[in-house]
Amino acid sequence: MADDSAYITIRGLGYTYAGTEQPAISGIDLDIRQGEYVGIIGLNGAGKTTLGLCLNGIIPHMLMGDQEGTVSVAGLDPTTLPVREMGRTVGMVFDNPEFQMSQITVAEEVALGLENLGVPYAEMVPRIAAALDLVGLAGFDERSPMALSGGQQQRLAIAATLVMKPQILFMDEPTSNLDPIGKEEVFEIARKLNRDEGLTVIVAEHEVEVLAQYADRIIVLDHGRIALQGTASDVFSQVDRLTELGLRSPQVTEFAYGLAPNEPGLPVTTDQALAWLGARA
Amino acid sequence: MTAAPSGTAAPAPTAEHPFVHPAHASSGPMVVVRDARYVYPRGGVTALDGVTLDIPAGQIVGVVGQNGSGKTTLTKLLNGLLKPTSGTVVVNGMNTADWTVQKMAAHVGYVFQNPNHQLFATTVEKELEFGPRNLGIPEEEIPERVADAVEFFGLQDVLGQHPYRISFPMRKLVGIASIYTMRPRVFILDEPTTGQDHRTTSVINRLIKRLGERGDTVICVAHDMPLLADVAQRLLVMWNARLIADGTPREVFANAEVMQRTHLTPPQITQLSLRIPSRAGRPVALAVSELVDEMRGTPRGTEA
Amino acid sequence: MQTMNVSITHVGGTSWLHRLSPLAKLTWVIAVMAFAFASYNPWPLFAIALLGIVLGASAGILGPMSRVLLVFAPVTASMLVIQAIAPAICSTDCTPAAQLGPLTIYEEGISHGLSLMSRVLAMEVIAIAVLMTTHPSDLFSALARLHVPYVLNFMLAMTLQLIPVLQREVQVVLSAQRSRGMKSTGFGSLIPSFVPVFAGAFERVQQLAISLESRAFGSTGTKTSYRQISFGPMDKLIAIAGIIVGVLGTAAGILFWGADQTPVLILPDWLAILIFLVALVMFVGVIVVAIVALVRS
Repeated sequence: MADDSAYITIRGLGYTYAGTEQPAISGIDLDIRQGEYVGIIGLNGAGKTTLGLCLNGIIPHMLMGDQEGTVSVAGLDPTTLPVREMGRTVGMVFDNPEFQMSQITVAEEVALGLENLGVPYAEMVPRIAAALDLVGLAGFDERSPMALSGGQQQRLAIAATLVMKPQILFMDEPTSNLDPIGKEEVFEIARKLNRDEGLTVIVAEHEVEVLAQYADRIIVLDHGRIALQGTASDVFSQVDRLTELGLRSPQVTEFAYGLAPNEPGLPVTTDQALAWLGARA
Repeated sequence: MTAAPSGTAAPAPTAEHPFVHPAHASSGPMVVVRDARYVYPRGGVTALDGVTLDIPAGQIVGVVGQNGSGKTTLTKLLNGLLKPTSGTVVVNGMNTADWTVQKMAAHVGYVFQNPNHQLFATTVEKELEFGPRNLGIPEEEIPERVADAVEFFGLQDVLGQHPYRISFPMRKLVGIASIYTMRPRVFILDEPTTGQDHRTTSVINRLIKRLGERGDTVICVAHDMPLLADVAQRLLVMWNARLIADGTPREVFANAEVMQRTHLTPPQITQLSLRIPSRAGRPVALAVSELVDEMRGTPRGTEA
Repeated sequence: MQTMNVSITHVGGTSWLHRLSPLAKLTWVIAVMAFAFASYNPWPLFAIALLGIVLGASAGILGPMSRVLLVFAPVTASMLVIQAIAPAICSTDCTPAAQLGPLTIYEEGISHGLSLMSRVLAMEVIAIAVLMTTHPSDLFSALARLHVPYVLNFMLAMTLQLIPVLQREVQVVLSAQRSRGMKSTGFGSLIPSFVPVFAGAFERVQQLAISLESRAFGSTGTKTSYRQISFGPMDKLIAIAGIIVGVLGTAAGILFWGADQTPVLILPDWLAILIFLVALVMFVGVIVVAIVALVRS
């Protein structure tokens, strides 16, 4: 689908880490529109993290390896621009909340990015307050990040990157290490940021049920290549294909598939499944 | 899915499971917990506020609850890492208050969530030998145990490799295997599938079932409801340092009040089965295949 | 689960010392350190130490302060014990003060020992007083104002954060290994924890580096600071006073109170023996407790 309004354009992207033979990703062609919520699924090692790191320039600037292809993010080229410039446009959140913490207080953690960008103090204060408010951590300023729960730490990590006002947020398995409440909190913020603030949100996850609910589009990575992409319904309806790839669809989709294996556009949420059953009755 | 065996004796030693424990002869439940309380010495926080339960040998039990609900404290009381502030915990006839963790290790194996916390040897093989050696198992018996574990877990290809050079999912298996070689009667698995992809989760799923088939008792702390719906015969729901629900997954997931209070969500298929109007009053579905068969009219029915 | 304290050294409070600018406090720390290095005469040094304790009391941190000093007491005491029986400043012509069995206690030894103790104590007291009454973030901001390189400052702050984290990691690893039947006595019990803790720390630092880079950590331009530290007129006065005292004190130390000018304290025998025994008890007592703890664990 040729897309002139594409906000992120990737063509023929490939990357091989130094010291390895197999490329981590290869032949990636992808267009993402502004304001889209994209879900990326794939087995561990399929290339989800690598793809994300190419968006903000960590690849190629910080890691050793060979990159090929082109990446254009909101009109910027992460392969030539320094990482600190991309930080204003692409925010990154990783899977281990605690490993993203380094400061003595919550407020300082959020301030870090602004300090690095040389933002004047007077401007910092309201931006930090706004970011903490957005993730539901208002008033936590003086707390120690290490003393927060996993869910709170992850929300802090999100605030620390939001404060730089990025237009794009890439989250790499953000709820892997969280309990159910923590997972809910993070997905709720992602939804809010996408729907209310218009952020382009890209989430790599194993939680297919949640992605199916929120994502406009799903991308399936297998051994570094895009195996499938499309709407949640398009992708998850291909139950057999996903099973071949070692992945799974939401349970309700597998259920519908069990009753109607050749039907396209199967339901991917519980509500949709109920409606689908009702229509079949 | 099989029904929960209750009150059965620990199985007699077989060719597969030859190691005999001193308290093996007991015919009562494998795990007996009576009014166990645990209060942290520093800070005085009550992490467990009076839990009473029995777990028969060979049962596969899931322990669920939010972080901080007491589920981890409960499992640490079971292997003696924590001693109850009051009440008793007896596993395989051994009262944890009377024995060190090391002595309990022969009966209860605790697999930590992050395998990196256990693995330090230079090869996988040495890692597997570590546990039995600590228990004082005679040297000539150790290779047989290692071979058994290699076969059970499929570790042939990584045996000579350094634990940190193999993939993380393999490391998780090595972590469980290194407890397996100690031949405990009870396995405690701390969040074995958290953060894992579907393929690894399936492997762990099959593993848990096979342990159950061999007669081992498996206690699995997890947030992965679909996993527990499939493997667990019983669910213990922890909330606010208390055990607030104890039943089969079918019973627990159907209990809306408990699910709401604990902010836990049943598997999606269960939620769907709860909401299908024509199914009102019927037991909830635990697996996709089950609901599909039911809707198709295949005479498979549902178990209580 | 965890306390609200942001660090292991900071004790909360609102006393005048807490509210004093960290820059002023740092100035005095440097001043006292310089003076302590230059002087050997125990009298002014003990006086400074006493002043520091009075300062601590007025700031309401006497309790925590005493506890920390108690922890360091054996080490400080060891200096006296060692000097007393084997003084460094006189090799063959030392003046014996008393005989305790096979050990000879020397006048010069006790004297020199007290001198060393007083230097360490003076530095200890002022450092503890400042650390306890200053929020670590403010301390690091102050260091940054004094043009300590950004990266060094950051590393120091991170180390402070990581100590309790790594302690916790070691505990988890030890629990995991004990759950595999590993006996927990002796140093050998710690070896299985090295690799996991290092591997964990390595992984953490890798991920942190990427997270920081993604937040423009690599910027070469001027960085601004969120943590604002006050430096009002009163603070400036105190800081200037600190500089003056530091300079004068160091000069006095070099001129009047140096090692050569300090007369050897001639104490009555019973006093020398008493001081020696007290120090010995503190020193030996701790060694015994440490050995018992190691053997027991």
